[in-house]
Amino acid sequence: MDHDDTLRTGAGMAAVALELQGLTRRHPGVTALDGVDLTLMRGEVHALAGENGAGKSSLIKILCGADRPDAGRMRLFGEAYAPQTPLAAMRAGIRVVHQELHMLGELSVAENLLFERLPRTRLGLLDRAAMDRRARELLALVGLDELSPATRVGTLGMAQQQLLEIAKALSNQRGGAARIVIMDEPTATLTPRETDRLLAIIRKLRDDGVTVVFVSHHLQELFEVCDRVTVLRNGRHVATQPMAGTSTGELVRLMVGRELVERPARVAPVLDAGRPAALRVEGLRHAGRRDTSSTAPTIDFSLHYGEIVGLAGLVGSGRTETLRAIFGADRAAAGRILRDEQPVRIASPRDALAHGICLVTENRKEEGLVLDLPIRANLSLARLGAVSRGGLLSAEAENAAARRMAGELQIRLASIAQPVRQLSGGNQQKVVLGKWLLRDPKVLLLDEPTRGVDVGAKAEIHALLERMAAQGMAVLVVSSDLRELIGLCDRMLVMSRGVLVGELPRAQFDEEAILAMAYREYLVRPQQAA
Amino acid sequence: MQAMNLTSSSTPAAAASMGDRAALVLREAGIGLALLVLLGVFALLSPIFLTAGNITNIFTQISINVILAVGMTFVILIGGIDLSVGSVMAFCAVVAGTVLKLDGLDPALAIALALAASIAVGAVCGLVNGAVSAWWAIPSFIVTLGMLNIARGAALQWTQARSIYEFPDAFNNFGSATLLGVPAIFLVALALVLAGWFVLNRTVFGRLVYAIGNNEEAVRLAGHSVRFYKIAAFVICGAAVGVGAVIYMTRLTIASPISGIGFELNAIAAVIIGGTSLSGGRGSIIGTLLGACIIGVLANGLILIGMSDFLRQMVTGFVIILAVVLDVLRARLAQRAAR
Repeated sequence: MDHDDTLRTGAGMAAVALELQGLTRRHPGVTALDGVDLTLMRGEVHALAGENGAGKSSLIKILCGADRPDAGRMRLFGEAYAPQTPLAAMRAGIRVVHQELHMLGELSVAENLLFERLPRTRLGLLDRAAMDRRARELLALVGLDELSPATRVGTLGMAQQQLLEIAKALSNQRGGAARIVIMDEPTATLTPRETDRLLAIIRKLRDDGVTVVFVSHHLQELFEVCDRVTVLRNGRHVATQPMAGTSTGELVRLMVGRELVERPARVAPVLDAGRPAALRVEGLRHAGRRDTSSTAPTIDFSLHYGEIVGLAGLVGSGRTETLRAIFGADRAAAGRILRDEQPVRIASPRDALAHGICLVTENRKEEGLVLDLPIRANLSLARLGAVSRGGLLSAEAENAAARRMAGELQIRLASIAQPVRQLSGGNQQKVVLGKWLLRDPKVLLLDEPTRGVDVGAKAEIHALLERMAAQGMAVLVVSSDLRELIGLCDRMLVMSRGVLVGELPRAQFDEEAILAMAYREYLVRPQQAA
Repeated sequence: MQAMNLTSSSTPAAAASMGDRAALVLREAGIGLALLVLLGVFALLSPIFLTAGNITNIFTQISINVILAVGMTFVILIGGIDLSVGSVMAFCAVVAGTVLKLDGLDPALAIALALAASIAVGAVCGLVNGAVSAWWAIPSFIVTLGMLNIARGAALQWTQARSIYEFPDAFNNFGSATLLGVPAIFLVALALVLAGWFVLNRTVFGRLVYAIGNNEEAVRLAGHSVRFYKIAAFVICGAAVGVGAVIYMTRLTIASPISGIGFELNAIAAVIIGGTSLSGGRGSIIGTLLGACIIGVLANGLILIGMSDFLRQMVTGFVIILAVVLDVLRARLAQRAAR
């Protein structure tokens, strides 16, 4: 292979591994990558930092052949690089360890590790001896020497499976050794001890001349292991600099940016102090938390009529789980919900709806819409009682309700009889909102209400929420777009790694401060539980 | 009408304006067309195919399958399947037969009680199927496979493997009665088709059946008890089996514990040929009726042109596969057009 020569001549001096020039990727309504330039050196650990939606994922997708850029070019060890498929990227020596696990639980460790190219005997049968030997080599690479290659993967914990993913990425699958390894949040499921082991693996890879791209919410880890850091913001390259000499504060500042967020004048609601809180959450602990011991911190907050409260935090910090627990979509491990200061029992969405609480879920296609049913049937789904009598649907009543909502929300449609599948993302989201607004909710919970929605529809949804709040509705919004929350909300709650870490009134909104709070629990490496 | 949103400008206006109902009608029209072609082919090949006597014959032959397939449509629409239909029918029949033979009952009363007993037995079997599969989230394929054996065993145990016969004349005559040349039992089947159509298209219940088959989680989050509707679909299927069992008895004039073997497969075939998706949420009762007609016409017509039993079975098999392949191709075309 000719790259071997490149590697050999490059040894000892700083050789360029991968060079990106003007990489651009546009999606409808949003530019995910905007002319990104980036140079990765051979044998360096390079941190990729940025807020949610800064373009990290889009960049990784293009590097590993899962997506193609609209403009720009890439050179891998001096040769033009434009992978059309993930397989082509793999062949070129670029490997990705994804955040999600892709192990086949019913198969053995060895089979999973070597799945891409199972060793065979001359008769075409599985060569068990070779499989065992090669699996042991790979396991040793990630410090799992003690694990038997015959173990069924389904019996292993998340952390061990994550290490197996890394071992698999390092195997010589599909020709050529790994030259660039991209790790996308590999430590999310690891305990501190395993994280240390992973960082040691990364250092060893670097010493072997492999380039590692490291993405992690845990800034502390970036500082521990990375040589250089590149910061992306809104799809643009902001800075690339040595990790040494960069402070945490500077890094957060680079990620957030200095520019002022335009804040449309929002009239603060006049909250009647004497009026009971629309919603009060006390001692909530959702079942998904890793630490469910009775001493773990709980989630406590209140929500008043007429205000829009933001729930900020990184993806995976427990925002979604909190909303789902309040709505009864998932059972909470502990806690009380009070409506108008009266405790209510919410064991299912049905209970929540009976108490006037609605939830716009984050995945509209999976959880919000019945895609093959007409728009009108989706709008009436949560309030069928209002468009029927004695169990018989009234087409007249349903059409009237659907038309009213379509008009009020400015849903762009050809006909209310059209399957909702045919609408654009923004209009689909309006249908989800319309479904709940027909119930006239008192408390509206929204999870990423404008994700995948074009700019115009986004503004309309914001205006709608402000209108609803002005009419007295209590609104709680989760969003990964901090600017959206800053523009929209009266008050901000911040979560970090499952903990509610702070609360800010609108006057104190500051992107940097909020982000620092959101990262707070990730900066401390938790001690291993005894 | 306002224009489509900019971001979805690639969607052709034609596809966008085509309502859900229009798409459904088109699918049904396609199946109807296939049926017409079949009728035409057999009319050309056999001089007696289109005679009044033969048409009546076809109606009689498909009635039981139509009744079972109406119930099966509900179950398949919510994303389930019921393999126990044939066995449950035998169990319903022997219970109804026993009631009919009770001493000292007025024939009219005995018939009414037998029908009620048959429907009740079918509904209870459906309740068990539905409750077990919905409560513990067990695939209905497995639960109803168990019920297939339980009900057959129960029917054999109940009668000690003997058939029950010598029912009241009024009962036995119904199986061969006609009204204006149309078999009475087909009219019963047609009534169930209409009832099924009404429930699925005009009631809140039917709306939720479709919605659950499409996206169970969205329905649950909209505050509905998904379990209730799933169980109800199986109960409806069981009740239809109860009706089918009594109708079948009027034709055979006996109640046999070994009747109905394989009937579930015919019912499923009718539903699938009728364009209902096995994954649920898509399909219609009218399609099911047309599907049952296609199976019946094929069976009848192939006999008339002198095809052997064995070849007929093969042809029916090919038609089932062809129907599903055509449906998949049609869905792909629609998807491509919408892109």
